[in-house]
Amino acid sequence: MDFKLSEDQEMLRSLARDFLTKECPKAKVRELEADEKGYDPQMWERMAGLGWLGLVFPENYGGTGATFLDLVLLMEEIGRNILPGPFFSTATCALPILEYGDEELKAKFLPQIAKGAAIWTLALIETLGGYEASEIRTSARIGDGQYVIEGTKLFVPNANIASHLLIAAQTGEGDKGITMFIVDAHSLGVEVEVIPTIAEDKQCQVTFTKVKVPEGNVLGNVGGGWDIVEFILDRAAILKCAEVCGGCQAVVEMTNAYAKDRVQFDKPIGSFQAIQHRLVDMFVNVEGLQYLVYQAAWEISVGSPSKLHISLVKAKASEVYQQACLDAIRIHGATGFTKEHDVGLYFRRVKASEFAMGDTDLWRERVAVELGL
Amino acid sequence: MDFKLGEKEGVLRRAIREFAQKEIPSEHFCLLLEEESRDEDWELAMSTSKKLAQKGWLVMAWPKEYGGRAASYWEQMVYGEECGYWGIPGISMGISGVAWVGPSLMQFGNEEQRKKYLPVIASGEPDGVWCTGYSEPNAGSDFANIQTRAIRDGDEYVINGQKVWTSCAHRARWCWLAVKTDPNAPKKHHGISIFIVDMKSPGITVNPLLNYYGVHIFNEVFFDNVRVSASNLVGEENKGWYHLMQSLASERHSIGPALYGSVRRLLEELVDYAKETQHDGKPLCQNPVVRHMLADAAAEAEMLKLFNYQTTWELTQGIIPIYGSSRNKAFGDQLLERISIIGMKLMGAYSQVDPYSKWTKLHGIIQRLYLLFPGISIAAGTDEIEKNVIGQFKLGLPKSY
Ligand SMILES: Cc1cc2nc3c(=O)[nH]c(=O)nc-3n(C[C@H](O)[C@H](O)[C@H](O)COP(=O)(O)OP(=O)(O)OC[C@H]3O[C@@H](n4cnc5c(N)ncnc54)[C@H](O)[C@@H]3O)c2cc1C
Ligand SMILES: Cc1cc2nc3c(=O)[nH]c(=O)nc-3n(C[C@H](O)[C@H](O)[C@H](O)COP(=O)(O)OP(=O)(O)OC[C@H]3O[C@@H](n4cnc5c(N)ncnc54)[C@H](O)[C@@H]3O)c2cc1C
Repeated sequence: MDFKLSEDQEMLRSLARDFLTKECPKAKVRELEADEKGYDPQMWERMAGLGWLGLVFPENYGGTGATFLDLVLLMEEIGRNILPGPFFSTATCALPILEYGDEELKAKFLPQIAKGAAIWTLALIETLGGYEASEIRTSARIGDGQYVIEGTKLFVPNANIASHLLIAAQTGEGDKGITMFIVDAHSLGVEVEVIPTIAEDKQCQVTFTKVKVPEGNVLGNVGGGWDIVEFILDRAAILKCAEVCGGCQAVVEMTNAYAKDRVQFDKPIGSFQAIQHRLVDMFVNVEGLQYLVYQAAWEISVGSPSKLHISLVKAKASEVYQQACLDAIRIHGATGFTKEHDVGLYFRRVKASEFAMGDTDLWRERVAVELGL
Repeated sequence: MDFKLGEKEGVLRRAIREFAQKEIPSEHFCLLLEEESRDEDWELAMSTSKKLAQKGWLVMAWPKEYGGRAASYWEQMVYGEECGYWGIPGISMGISGVAWVGPSLMQFGNEEQRKKYLPVIASGEPDGVWCTGYSEPNAGSDFANIQTRAIRDGDEYVINGQKVWTSCAHRARWCWLAVKTDPNAPKKHHGISIFIVDMKSPGITVNPLLNYYGVHIFNEVFFDNVRVSASNLVGEENKGWYHLMQSLASERHSIGPALYGSVRRLLEELVDYAKETQHDGKPLCQNPVVRHMLADAAAEAEMLKLFNYQTTWELTQGIIPIYGSSRNKAFGDQLLERISIIGMKLMGAYSQVDPYSKWTKLHGIIQRLYLLFPGISIAAGTDEIEKNVIGQFKLGLPKSY
């Protein structure tokens, strides 16, 4: 048992913090919210240069061979600073390619990702909005050595700028009837429309009209897609929670600083117990969330993921984030309610992070199952 | 970073499980603070203390010379978790002795006191049972406000005053007593000292105070010209406050693992109960509200586990977990409250049944916990006081009171 980060991890963290503070100040975040693309291609290139985009890939695919926990630490910094763009969406596709792709697929796609030359996203949920195999209605029918895909995906992050889509489509019945396909985002019949969201984070509707995909673009086995989805959900949920956790930390820190600074009734408002105890609750819950994230991530890193521990984190994270943001806004008074103040940037991301990779109730239900209920 | 416990801890866990399954009646569920009430519970506690001592577990953290076996912090933590899980009674010899009197004597007592008192606690015999006299009618959270006086008279001190809420005073052989030795000190916490007092001394009166459910946990203790030898002063005269602040962190820390163990057990019991109980024609466990309540509690239980791990880890790094101990105490109390309320909800109409009646479910542990948790959350520092500590010393906020 050890709660200390390694020297390399400390370095990764402080490097990430410095880079993001410098390259992605809140003015930049706001600019990218309004930007059509929603990311900064030059920054993306520099992130590739830092080795972030292939962080967990082996060196022969252009990566640095870091662990999943390292990636989680990076996501935590990304959440703390807020970094708009396709880092998370690309990671959620790269991980399954690394795990399920054959040598050819890996050699073809991973070095591209590591170099920053490809942007990926996962097209999973549909109009029903749920994360069940039965809710996948997009179909893939085979003929002439290729598949033809028909259907509509919703809330696909960054599809407006993606070069590749990883999509779940129906090739048969039930859990065994889902297959994962790699689709060139510029294929004929792929149409992308950005959904206006309160986070202004470029989630999209993607429609597939008779989109032709070669057989070789199946990831894993035909009919084995849902296992891949489960693999992705577990890991992406932890990455998302790490991002949430970083966001929570930023919110607690700015609120604590404000409570020391803001004077009313001739005293810093942090001296009022109503404020102080609220801050303590925020702080303790966020710290607890951080340990939950680290535990689950460490277990994934050493190859023994725990369904229970993963589910607990995702069931808890958004609750903690939402409460922290709400308390933070209240403690800031009217200032916290303004467009200029940063706390609102975080609050506007709470729901996006809850619904990414399954909402609180879905993961609570998974916890219940793991408890034996 | 590493989230795995070592092989040694695994071995200890298995040994405790074996011990518990052999020695502890299966329907027994120990709740901290309650075992001193009923005679039959106390007897089981004391006979178990002795067995724990023979196993070398009772004071495993202490050095060998005082009856311990210098167990690692991780072993202590696992021991706490398992004792909580299996409901092993007698682990604290009336709360005070194992958890803070012993550690305090090692920190600031003298060698003579250590030799005299530590082996007796370590033996698990009734003569090693202690109570703690801090609180008074006008000194609760504001502990430094105590009025009980000790006045030097030759080789002795003469003690006069009153303590209240003194847990286990009716079972204890010794009292770990805080008194004022300098009432004129410029700051009220400068004039406090700690004494060891024999509860058989003339001039001591112990009056039971029953809790709202008639359970006899605490007492009023009166001191009427009680004479103690000057050699019973622990540490420096008038430095008691500083000594106690040191030992308070270990007191608070020691509760966490056992609390987590109990919570894990309670969750398992409630899961089984929900599976076996029919409600509205289907098993309770199919009710989504029940599933979600238990899932949320499980997430918080996991947080408490990791908080315990983190403070234990700090100890292994030579850090005294001042903040962590307050955090774990406050968080653990909230969790206990949540579990009690969920448990009572699941019991439905049976939640109102006397815990010892034939109508009771799960051997009455849920009702007992529900009746007890407010007391647990007040003892050793209220939620508000812990939050003041965290706000001031961890978040660096101005003093709020
Ligand atoms: C939507 C909106 C519309 C508004 N419209 C108007 C308007 O039309 N006209 C107008 O004059 N004003 C208006 N206001 C301002 C509003 O009245 C103030 O925001 C409010 O009084 C709080 O003051 P503050 O924002 O300076 O926060 P602060 O007073 O700085 O408070 C910050 C935090 O400290 C807490 N706090 C402060 N003092 C104490 C204390 N003694 N004990 C415990 N906690 C304390 C507060 O509860 C809050 O959580 C508006 C505000 C909003 C959000
Ligand atoms: C079951 C049980 C066993 C106990 N065993 C022992 C024992 O063995 N020996 C012993 O010495 N004592 C014992 N106590 C006493 C315990 O330590 C005190 O009850 C505790 O310190 C609180 O003091 P009080 O009851 O006087 O409440 P008070 O201090 O009067 O507090 C009342 C309320 O005011 C709040 N409050 C007080 N000050 C502040 C502040 N600055 N800021 C915000 N809120 C504040 C408290 O949090 C609480 O909610 C026991 C208590 C219980 C319930």
